Amino acid sequence: MAPPRLPEQLAELSALLAEMCVAVAGALRRATAALLDRRERLATQVIEGDDRVDALRARVETVATEALLFHAPVAGDLRRVVAAIRAAGDIERMGDLAQHVAEAARRGHPGDLPPEIRQVVAQMGRIGVELALKAAEVVRTRNVLLAVELDGDDDAMDAEHRRILSVLLHPCWSHGVPTAVDLALLARYYERFADHAVVVARETVYAVTGRRPEGLAI
Amino acid sequence: MRDAYQEQLDDLADGLAGMCDEVAAAMGKATRSLLEADLQLAEDVISGDVRVDEVRALAEEKAFALLALQAPVATDLRIVVSAIHAAGDLERMGDLALHVAQAARRRHPQPVLPAEVGPYFAEMGRVAVELATKAGAVIRSRDLTAATELESDDDAMDDLHRHLFTVLMGPDWQHGVGPAIDITLLGRFYERYADHAVAVARRIVYVVTGRMPGPLTV
Repeated sequence: MAPPRLPEQLAELSALLAEMCVAVAGALRRATAALLDRRERLATQVIEGDDRVDALRARVETVATEALLFHAPVAGDLRRVVAAIRAAGDIERMGDLAQHVAEAARRGHPGDLPPEIRQVVAQMGRIGVELALKAAEVVRTRNVLLAVELDGDDDAMDAEHRRILSVLLHPCWSHGVPTAVDLALLARYYERFADHAVVVARETVYAVTGRRPEGLAI
Repeated sequence: MRDAYQEQLDDLADGLAGMCDEVAAAMGKATRSLLEADLQLAEDVISGDVRVDEVRALAEEKAFALLALQAPVATDLRIVVSAIHAAGDLERMGDLALHVAQAARRRHPQPVLPAEVGPYFAEMGRVAVELATKAGAVIRSRDLTAATELESDDDAMDDLHRHLFTVLMGPDWQHGVGPAIDITLLGRFYERYADHAVAVARRIVYVVTGRMPGPLTV
């Protein structure tokens, strides 16, 4: 059987990356719900669902390697294939981080959340899901403007991260050290999830333009 | 032609092994800056991270040149793709050493670590440096036994990390929420650093066990 043509492989790579992004967005949404509403079964579903993301990543690597092997692409096409390999690694990591949130939910940590913390966690979840869905759009459409926009959206996550730390470190914090430690780690998982979404967007900018976003006058 | 090609592959491997040494040195210094509240050392690590990022960019350029100019066949292709992944892991290790140094700088002249957790970090730092150094040695020697050793070193890191946690979460913890959060995140940086070192070693195992004919380079 003849190998698929390069344009078909490139299209498949974009579709796979978008599918991965949508999958990890769903995982983070469910993991956050499991955490906020203490739904252990939902948490377990997220943890078991991560295999699918890993399988999609493996598929990206296979398609990318075949593209390199059969078509020896150059210039923009080569960048696109390599960027897909790298982006798949970042999206897989986003899946792992959603899984960490779900694992905390399943262990019943950090327990019933104080209201001000609930709000921040819910917001971090929302921002993370939005970023992942936007990243899906970026890899599907290869829209550089949207990719650059995503870079700025990450600031909202950083703001929430600072907010949660200020609550935990406030002298009035009355829920003890273990709860604070659990929450600090959770906040870190959300923050890293967002960081990886930004990297996925940057990879796309690089694939399209041949330049890193910081070098772009947008 | 083939010789020039082999030279390019060797060059790529040298670059990666060099990165291992760089990030090992960075983590060694970062740990000392943390343990001794040494601002100068922390600054060294922080300014030195740019160099790691540059070496990564260079390694990627070399990998790209190989892909574009030589159109490597299946087995060599696996090497080049693995090298791209490994460079990403190593860059992240550099970032994690940077985070440790930043924590030391942020709290200076106060020490970040209460006396009872100092030994944990001394030990985690030692294991981290050893892991990165070994990963470099594995790249140079392609020795699979050494690669397996890395996995058990990583288990040692996980044990240290778990013990550290029981100290923070225990009833005897006297230092409040702030230091507990700092230490939690710092512990996580070391753990992730070790994970990435293992990932680098695994990529080499993958390349080696892919039955590479003749002398092998990653």
